[in-house]
Amino acid sequence: MPENHVSDIHGLEPQEFLSQVHSFEFWFESVEGYLSGRPYGHQPDTVETPLSDLERDRLITALCNYCIGETVALEGASGLIAIAPNREAKIFLATQVADEGRHLEVLLRRLTDLGVTDPETEIEKHANRSLLTFRHRLRELVEGRDWEASIFAQNVILEAMEFSVFQTHAEVADPITREILEGIVKDERRHMGFGENDLGRRLALTPHIRDRLNVLRRSLDPLVLETFEDTLSQLGISRSEHPGLGRRYLETVERLGFAS
Amino acid sequence: MNDPLKQLSEDTPRQRFVLAETGFNEVPKKYRKFYRRWQGSGDTLALNEVLCPVCRVVIRSSREIRPGDRVYCMPCMSRLVVIRSATGHLEARVAY
Repeated sequence: MPENHVSDIHGLEPQEFLSQVHSFEFWFESVEGYLSGRPYGHQPDTVETPLSDLERDRLITALCNYCIGETVALEGASGLIAIAPNREAKIFLATQVADEGRHLEVLLRRLTDLGVTDPETEIEKHANRSLLTFRHRLRELVEGRDWEASIFAQNVILEAMEFSVFQTHAEVADPITREILEGIVKDERRHMGFGENDLGRRLALTPHIRDRLNVLRRSLDPLVLETFEDTLSQLGISRSEHPGLGRRYLETVERLGFAS
Repeated sequence: MNDPLKQLSEDTPRQRFVLAETGFNEVPKKYRKFYRRWQGSGDTLALNEVLCPVCRVVIRSSREIRPGDRVYCMPCMSRLVVIRSATGHLEARVAY
């Protein structure tokens, strides 16, 4: 029998499954599949497509806001490690911190490749106000050691928004940006899944926290939607052409039992 | 009252499937054959496949999937239970 033979993964006990997928070992072997041989998130021989000035400016504006989103996620995930309820969650969050740090690095590199000489100033210049407010709110939640609210804001709301925007942008992006975004989306699957499943288990045990999170959701939704709309309009993407946009987030909150 | 068709289906031995690699690369190598990318509305699910509602990846098993089965989606780390929907299709629901 081959060394890596697995008869059927679906026969695993639930705790065994969770221990495996929350491990660094799982993370290493997963990212190896789609990041190996792709320095800075894309294959070295992918050819740069010429962009018009308008296309380049739009792309830079979007990338600047992606950098802010990834910085929010990096700070959020690292802060969450201290308040995570168990060691497996802490280990998983450590892998997420590595992912978020990589995302920020490859996006900064892309800005430099597009001719941005001072990314920090450029990011500040294009920063979306709603995203900055979201960053402030998430920081307050993490500093307040509110695990449920923080994981909801970070791994459900923020990650679902990033997943949808990156996936949509990748469909129309130049080849290098597309490869970078597709690699990020693959990481986001883990982050979103962790958030929904952790929160789902907690809500099943302590349903009374649902009302509190619903209030939080109503206050954060407008910030997220505004950021969402703004980023897409910067890219010249019309929501009417992508009716599925935002659906993933709505489906997630519906599965978790939050009223719309 | 028992549904004879349902009874027949449950009593029939499950079909077995030999899983091959699908090009899916988001989980450790030894688990990759259990997943494939969903190709969108033109895609169809085989008897041993079900779609993950969380991350939209197709989950595969080495045997025919039936209602009540438990499956795992490794790419998004979800535990799922298979049900038969009102339209008669198999669907996976997250089991928190």
